[in-house]
This record gives sequence, C-alpha cells and structure tokens, in this order.
Amino acid sequence: MDVQNEDDRRSFERVVVPHLADALTLARWLTGNRADAEDVVQESSLRAFRSIGQFSGTHARSWVLTIVRNTAYSWMRKNRSATLVPVEDLDDEQRIQAESAGEYASLSPKNPETELLERVDESRLEGAIAGLPTEFREALVLRDMQGLGYREIAEVVGAPVGTVMSRLARARQRLIKAVKADQT
Amino acid sequence: MTTSANTAPPAQDPALLVHAYLDGELDTPTALAVKQTIDANPALAAQLASFTALQNAVRARFPRERVPAHLRTRINSAVGLNRRWARPTWGALAASVLLAVGLSSGSTWLAFRAPQPDLVVEEAVDSHMRALLASKPTDFSSSERHTVKPWFNTRIAQSPRVIDLTTNGFPLLGARIDVIGANPVPTLVYGRRLHVISLSAVPGATGPKDPTLRRSINGFNAVSWRDGETTNWAISDLNARELETFARLFQASN
Repeated sequence: MDVQNEDDRRSFERVVVPHLADALTLARWLTGNRADAEDVVQESSLRAFRSIGQFSGTHARSWVLTIVRNTAYSWMRKNRSATLVPVEDLDDEQRIQAESAGEYASLSPKNPETELLERVDESRLEGAIAGLPTEFREALVLRDMQGLGYREIAEVVGAPVGTVMSRLARARQRLIKAVKADQT
Repeated sequence: MTTSANTAPPAQDPALLVHAYLDGELDTPTALAVKQTIDANPALAAQLASFTALQNAVRARFPRERVPAHLRTRINSAVGLNRRWARPTWGALAASVLLAVGLSSGSTWLAFRAPQPDLVVEEAVDSHMRALLASKPTDFSSSERHTVKPWFNTRIAQSPRVIDLTTNGFPLLGARIDVIGANPVPTLVYGRRLHVISLSAVPGATGPKDPTLRRSINGFNAVSWRDGETTNWAISDLNARELETFARLFQASN
C-alpha cells in the first residue's frame, strides 16, 4: 500500500507536475480569473493523482489538459451556468465562408489591419478573447498560447480535427472583427 | 492537393488551409503548394498576414501562466508529496546529503544559486556535438524559412527569428529543438562550407549586447549576444572570426 502510494507520487511528479503551467493557463482562460483557475488546477491535480494508474504512458500533456478541461467545465456549470454557451458546429464550412467573405479582398499583406493588431493593447485583446464562446476560446488558447498541435487539441477537447480547425478559424476571425470594432 | 497521415485531414476550403499553413500543420510539399496558392491570391495573402499578426499579438501579450509557489505547496500537500512520514527514497536521501554539503559551505551554496552562463554554453556545445553525431544535425530539414518557423510553432511556445543568410554564404539547413537549462529551446542550423553552425535562442537577456566570443570548448567556438528577452548562442567548429561574422550578419538582418 505504502509502496503503491510512493509509486503514484513519483508518477505524478513525472507526468503531471511538468504541465502545471499549461494547466493553469487553460484554467485561467476557461474560468476567467486566476483565483478560480488555481482552485480548478488543484482539484484537477487531485483527480489526476487518483487516476494516475490509468495514464497510458504517452501524451502526458493532453492527458493532464483533458482532466483540467473537464474539471473547469464542471466548475463553470456549478458556478456560472451563463458562461457556458454551446456552439453549433454543424454548418462550419458555410459560416466560415460567410464570416470571411469579402472581408479581406481589398487588403495587401502589410495593411492597416496587421498594424492595428500589432499595437492592440492588452486589455482590449483580453476582453475580446474572454468574449469568445468557450469552445472557440479554448481552441485559441491551446493553439496560440500553449502551442498544441491540432491533433493534441482534438484529443483534449474530444472533437474531430476538422472541428478544431474550424473553431480556431472562427475564433481568429471573431477576434479580428472585435479588435477592429473596438477601434472605431 | 494531399496531406500526409500525420497532418490535418484534407480540407478543400482555402480559408482553413491558411490556418493549417500558419500553424505548421501541413507537411513540407503541401505547405509549399499552399504557400504558392496564397501568394497568387491577394485576399488569402491578406488573411495570412492578419492571422499571423493576431497570433503574434496573442503570444506576446499572454505568455503561459507561471505557477505560484503557494499553488505548488497546495497541490503537493493535496496529493501527499511532502508528507513527512513518507519513506525517503534513495534519491531523496542522496539529495539531502548534497544539500547538507551545500549548506556546510557558503561558496558551494552560492554556486548552486547564481545564474550559470557556463552551464548554458556547455549544454549548448553538448547539444551541438550530439546533433553532429546523429544521422543528421536537424530534426526538420528545410532551407525555406517560411516552413521552418511554422515547424517551431507547432512544437514550442516561442519560435525564433528565422533569417536566410544564403547569399552571405551561410545557407539555412533546418532546425531542431534542444534542451538547455531544462528549457526546450529553438535551434536553427546553418552551414558554412563543410561546417555546421547551431544557433540556439535561450530564454533570459543575459548575454552581451553585441556578438562576443565566449568560450572555446573541445575545439568548438561559442559566440553569444542578446536579442530582446533571449540570448542567442552560436556554436560551431568554424573559426572564431567567421563565426563572429555569421553572428553579426544574423544580428543585423531584421
């Protein structure tokens, strides 16, 4: 029993501890603030520790982040049901085309839009990210802040790669739109 | 247009391919083909520019969270990592002996705590030597800087400046990821005649402002200089003068 615990603790240090910064980043953007994120990460760590025996041995980061995501979602359901807005993924292709149609036609590679994005201030961008639907926001955070590949993200959020791609595309389009709207 | 098994599934929609290209999710032949499509289409080129600017803005303004010490303590006690009655392992015993040795001598203790540029240069040289012993010195071979940058993007949070110095006689050979000071760091690999140069961007603005020869270890020269929040380390068996020339050319191109 004691030996078993010792093994589990060693596995925990090897598998979970290296990914705590990623865990905290995801939790912070899902819950919306650092204090709640810390509670979520502590709860996730405990869950990860209890199920460390089920860890398959590969993809430690996705495994840890999946647990963090599930914990954060239960936390959000309990604490603010309003922040969980489900999004419809079914007609992605059409929406992307509709959302991007004609928007860029007149722009060249170095343009007012890229310049605006280069100097956008932190709180505006933060507000725009916080305003994204949860599924779009997590795709953006996992990719652009944490550097996960599409397949890893698909593993964490439990959706097909194609869905991840379109969520990410729509998250980016909405952010650009929001940043531009703020400015005018 | 096809994509290989380890990349994103085939997507016909050019709007999605722009993202897949930006995120380095396409294999090299597909990435090159998509890049040609983008270059030929001003609307797509504008999208790529905007999404790249957005990605850079997000990364620059929102780095990964740091785990505060109090949270680590909370987690450790939640899972019983620092329970006093846990039987010490041999590793822990050995560490406590080391700690006792460290504490018993003030200077040793300082040596543990001070920043250690020597350690960085040694690890950079070790990484370079290991790379030369492997079947090739890169994990990803490409002379095209537009494919090297996305390759980093999918693997580590920060990707370095990638500069083409072919016309100066330092062709880009590719890239790999080294581990220096317990951090995964981006390393670019350049060539000079038959010599290989490894250029690693190590976190921390600790280096000198301009390229300076720091050390020669086992016939390898190490030149370093500061670049924003990172310090670049160029390692090669190339002679010091040419290695410094390389460093200055890299520093000067923006």
